[in-house]
Amino acid sequence: MGVTPVADGIVVPVERTATLRATVGHAAAEAAEAGADALHFVYLAAWRDDDPHVERLRQDATDLLEQVAVWAEYDLEDANAPDLRIETAILGTDAYLFGPGQYAERLHEYADANELGTVLLDPEYTPVGNTALLQPMEFELSSTGLTVREAPVDRPSRRERIVSELTGLRFGAVFALSLLFYFVLGDPTYPFDFVTGVASAAIVAITLSQVTLDHDPTLETPKRIVRGAVYVPVLLWEILKSNVVVARVILSPSLPIEPTTTRMRVLVGSGLPLTTLANSITLTPGTLTVRASDEDLIVHTLIPWAREGLFEGSLERWTRLIFYGREAARLPTPKERGDCDVLQGPDATADLPFAETDGGERVEDAAESKSEVTDE
Amino acid sequence: MEPLTTVRVALIAVFTLLGLFFTFVSMTGVIRLPDVYSRAHTASQADTLGAGFALAAVALTVGLAGSGFKSVLLLFFIFVTNPTAAHAIARAAFEDGNVPWTEGDERR
Repeated sequence: MGVTPVADGIVVPVERTATLRATVGHAAAEAAEAGADALHFVYLAAWRDDDPHVERLRQDATDLLEQVAVWAEYDLEDANAPDLRIETAILGTDAYLFGPGQYAERLHEYADANELGTVLLDPEYTPVGNTALLQPMEFELSSTGLTVREAPVDRPSRRERIVSELTGLRFGAVFALSLLFYFVLGDPTYPFDFVTGVASAAIVAITLSQVTLDHDPTLETPKRIVRGAVYVPVLLWEILKSNVVVARVILSPSLPIEPTTTRMRVLVGSGLPLTTLANSITLTPGTLTVRASDEDLIVHTLIPWAREGLFEGSLERWTRLIFYGREAARLPTPKERGDCDVLQGPDATADLPFAETDGGERVEDAAESKSEVTDE
Repeated sequence: MEPLTTVRVALIAVFTLLGLFFTFVSMTGVIRLPDVYSRAHTASQADTLGAGFALAAVALTVGLAGSGFKSVLLLFFIFVTNPTAAHAIARAAFEDGNVPWTEGDERR
């Protein structure tokens, strides 16, 4: 690949990957060759600084950035680039980052603020542990006016990656879980069941451990499982309550429903925490998660009672308790934070977020349609 | 397997009836409610409490020691898959530009 002239500076988002060292080397070489005046390495945080127990994550990121800076300085020793400054930064600690759009946005803001014109991407860069995010992120970045390039480094083949990751905790966790499930269904004291169980669990772990888990289990994992187990009866109780209320509404002759669509900005991380919350909301009759676009949940509510309950945010607090611990569960309700919007009806505070181009019908007179609900 | 005492039989009957009741409510809701979103609410009732009480009755009948535990597992899988399916349907309707029904809407 021919190096295009870079006059201003280069920004490289980094994470611990197999190709990080090579990417840093390439970035240093490119910056020196093009006479760039700044080379920045940034870490996009997957946590918020308000969360408890983030010191370890922050320390980890700081260590990585220090390491990267040392590498880059070493690489530049031989190059004749006295004006080149190397800087590092951690970005996005004020909010959970969701999806390629927000990652791209943070990078763009940073690049603008520091007058950097080029983004160099590590081909193995996996924000939030999700490889599939790299290409959409490149796409988002390409519309910002920044120059975006992938570092032309040799990537380890998929085969090597699978083998190396199979030795880890992930394999053990998936194997143990599958084996436990098999023994629950079968009888571990019966030799046939024992042998087939071990074989099946091994096959499942070999083929699926990389897909099932994208992080190694940590000391936090058993705690989460215990807290999750506490959550189950709470959720069942919530489901029972709303079932009775909704059943009464459905069976009453006048069918007193007041469906509206609402939007709630939730304070949980992407991935499993968001899925847990969205699914809990859907499981409870009266509230239904229609869309999860980043941290905004579009929730359809059937009756005002369910809407009030949703805005009180007890499910959100429980989700935070499970994933971030007890201190994290103490926070204002979505209503107090002003993170709730009603999107339809007389109380509407925002519009339904349909895409402009999808040909969907729009409710122009939603605010005017206040007529009483009539019996069928 | 332990013998079926009168109390257990009574509990089994109560749970079965409750399961039937919520399944009936769910079915009524699907017929009466106006649009795909509100129907998705009530469809989840059959899966949560309808199936929940039915499986509780099953667990009581066969005894927790044996296959009863499997019905707990069944319930777990229903609880994991039901919201996923409901969300997929609602999301598909939303992406298709289907405006949720509100009061005063002519469609019914």
